Amino acid sequence: MVRQDHAMESDDRDVVYRRLFDKKQREYLRTVICDEIIEEHRKSPLGQHTEPLERLLMYFRHAPQRDKYVVKRDGKSGKFRIAQLSGNRDAPLSGVNDREYAAAEETYHEIFLLRVRELMELDA
Amino acid sequence: MAEIKIFGYANKISVKQGDSIDLHVSADGTATADAQLVRLIHGDEHPDGPGFVAREIDHPVNGVWSVKKQFTQLGSYLIVDDSERRLNIGGSFSLFCYVWPTLPNKGRRQCVMGRWDTRTNEGYGLGINPQGRLEFWVGDGKEVDYVMAELPLIKKVWYFVGVSFDHETGTATLYQDGLLNRYNSLIGKVAPYEFSSHVQTKFRFKQKNREDVPFVVAGARDFHELRGRFINDTYSGKIDRFGVCNRVLSREEMDSIRGGRRPAEDSIVAFWDTTAGYTENGIGTSVLDTGPNALTARGVNHPVRCLTGWNWSGKNDCFRLSPSEYGGIEFHQEAVTDCGWEVTKTMRIPGDLRSGAYAIRLRAGDGVGLSEEYIVFFVRPAKPESKLCFLVPTASYLAYANEKLSFDAQIIQPMTGQPPIISDIDIETYKHRDFGLSTYDSYEDGAGVSFSSYKRPIVNMRPKYRISSMNIPWQFPADLSIIGWLEQCGHQYDVITDEDLHREGLAALAPYKCVITGTHPEYVSESMLDAQEDFVALGGRLIYMGGNGYYWCVGFYEDEPWCMEVRKLDSGMRAWAARAGEHYLQTTGEKSGLWRNRGRAPQKLTGVGFIAEGFETSAPFRRMPDSYHRTVSWITEGIEGEIIGDEGLAYGGAAGVELDRYDLSLGTPPHTRIIASSGGHSDNYVLVTEELLYAYAGLVGTLDYRIRADMTYFTAPNNGAVFSTGSIAFGHALPVNNYQNNTSRLLKNVVDNFVKDGELPGGSWTLEEKQWR
Repeated sequence: MVRQDHAMESDDRDVVYRRLFDKKQREYLRTVICDEIIEEHRKSPLGQHTEPLERLLMYFRHAPQRDKYVVKRDGKSGKFRIAQLSGNRDAPLSGVNDREYAAAEETYHEIFLLRVRELMELDA
Repeated sequence: MAEIKIFGYANKISVKQGDSIDLHVSADGTATADAQLVRLIHGDEHPDGPGFVAREIDHPVNGVWSVKKQFTQLGSYLIVDDSERRLNIGGSFSLFCYVWPTLPNKGRRQCVMGRWDTRTNEGYGLGINPQGRLEFWVGDGKEVDYVMAELPLIKKVWYFVGVSFDHETGTATLYQDGLLNRYNSLIGKVAPYEFSSHVQTKFRFKQKNREDVPFVVAGARDFHELRGRFINDTYSGKIDRFGVCNRVLSREEMDSIRGGRRPAEDSIVAFWDTTAGYTENGIGTSVLDTGPNALTARGVNHPVRCLTGWNWSGKNDCFRLSPSEYGGIEFHQEAVTDCGWEVTKTMRIPGDLRSGAYAIRLRAGDGVGLSEEYIVFFVRPAKPESKLCFLVPTASYLAYANEKLSFDAQIIQPMTGQPPIISDIDIETYKHRDFGLSTYDSYEDGAGVSFSSYKRPIVNMRPKYRISSMNIPWQFPADLSIIGWLEQCGHQYDVITDEDLHREGLAALAPYKCVITGTHPEYVSESMLDAQEDFVALGGRLIYMGGNGYYWCVGFYEDEPWCMEVRKLDSGMRAWAARAGEHYLQTTGEKSGLWRNRGRAPQKLTGVGFIAEGFETSAPFRRMPDSYHRTVSWITEGIEGEIIGDEGLAYGGAAGVELDRYDLSLGTPPHTRIIASSGGHSDNYVLVTEELLYAYAGLVGTLDYRIRADMTYFTAPNNGAVFSTGSIAFGHALPVNNYQNNTSRLLKNVVDNFVKDGELPGGSWTLEEKQWR
């Protein structure tokens, strides 16, 4: 539902429309999430995917920078962790959890699952 | 204990045997570092390749160096050469200028012009206060008096601003008028803003001028106990003609200057005319004072010039057509083109040090992560003796120097199709910004970065570095895979750089029979392009080892080869777009943007040009029918089957990342043969924007046949020839299985024959075959 007070949230009214657009996107994308899509991504996180998975990934990738998931490589240990862009230049990454991964590729599906979980919980 | 961090840069990127090079180092948490000269052989630590390979070289410079923390001046500004202290004005005076502020609401003071010491509060200044309003102030070291405008400044709108200060009465009269026309500002006149403010007040205090404070435009002098004097309160935005008068100017006189007329000559202390000094080849970084004292204002960190001014009418798109409308000069608080650090060590390059890629490796503490640094430079021979030459694309290294796409570019994850892999060095440089930005970044006010220099640490011009957004080596560390291949190919080779080629032209290439490029030689100046075209036309052989090469037109000031200028415009895969009317390089006067848009598409030199980019997967090449023709079959000799390059360190194939395609309509020589082409690219591979007239659905890898890499070959006059790989990932494919793979074999076939004198294989064609079609 469009509310009048949404228009007051930003000087840039474009943001208001984007929020509504993304909400509609999510409504659709929640309908495509199934075990098959999760398994397809687990097997092949990079490369060509089926159309529903490709759309889902597009939505995740097009999200605004703030809070976007990234992978942090530790310079000393060479291990990887999942992090988020904080939007704060002085501390640009915020940690998600303490789990370490030996290879960057191992994080891709974990990030996907985090994004799917958030998608299912948003707008509730 | 403080974390140990060590960074450095060299004053030259290319140095000849026997010459000297200065090394500048800054360190945190340590007073010493272990230095070692190394020859760099391979830089990609991918497990399927040979890993990081470097050889330690004996040299007197090796050993323990004393290092210290060094500081960097951020921000572009002008500082006035005023040895006779003409601007040390003790009596009445007036200041005026045109401004186009881009961050008036930054929330901190921005000094537009003045002779102000922010530490001691002495002197006078005109600027923008933390509330975003025009303000004039004077200080005597104890007290400061201010007068500010009634209205906030609107960003990206031209104003005429000024002040008159009556020293006798203390009357300060502030002048602010909007000068928005239909073209010159972000908004038009239908936006109902108020722009004018005229305020008068009486100051209790007068200016006291310190002898040693400089007159600065777009900043003010400050002091810090550790770093000493520096410029602070820097300004973001454009300034047009500005001046200082030696008396109170009346409202009518200010109105007259606002309209574009000079002040009364007898009142002028200085009148800096930002439109003076244009030639057809651009303009320098110093702004000329056309008043009686000739107080030149010297640019620091490359303020941007050749920009539209307050009176731009929108009709002319270049300073050459109407220089008086191009008085805009733009300043950025984050600009840095020379860290200006003290020299830590000077080293002489031994006369017998083999040409190649070298670095001073610095380690402190555990020597891992931020406590290890490689200061990279390239050694060229005093006298070339090899037939083979690797042309290091240092202009392209500058373009990407310290890029921060993973943090700031919303488009980067849709583009690369993967989450970025961010390392400690990426975070460090993003947090502190002392090492500057790349031409892929924008300043805080949204303006694209048009200058990039190597007089600063470049953290991604190091071995082992992987670009965070794509998780592959990029530019220099990727090109080390070509150097690694050259080391084992059995031919003696030299290296020269873009800088050498730009300065010396054809003479730099002439000694060689075969020139091999880097994986992504994207940025070229006219002299670099001319030299390579002439080299081939005169019988040289060129191996274009990359994708998206010969793309952007760049310029350099003759006496500043370390600093490259580019403007991104019109079309092309571009990180930003220059504003209307601001498409010409101040360093050369040329129109920047794509060479293709100036009639020199890369296809004309190499046979191929940029068609698509994608990340996350690569593909192999498949031989095309031309490759079986007896005139070119030597290129694939010893290769079994149709597939070439089904392995690689960049996403598993030799065709990937950025792809180039054969296109007769863009100047591919008509007799060009396609040896092999890739295909089957994913939809992450998208058509480049310069190919678009109308956008429509389906311009992606699985749906558009044009999205492929073409590996091409053509002969040129005088036994010259060009072989092109058409793919960035080609170079990444060479080291697989310790260089024992068919990508490597194919390149060996080409190099082995290209370095030979005389006719190329297939030269004994029949007359009919020479016509090719």
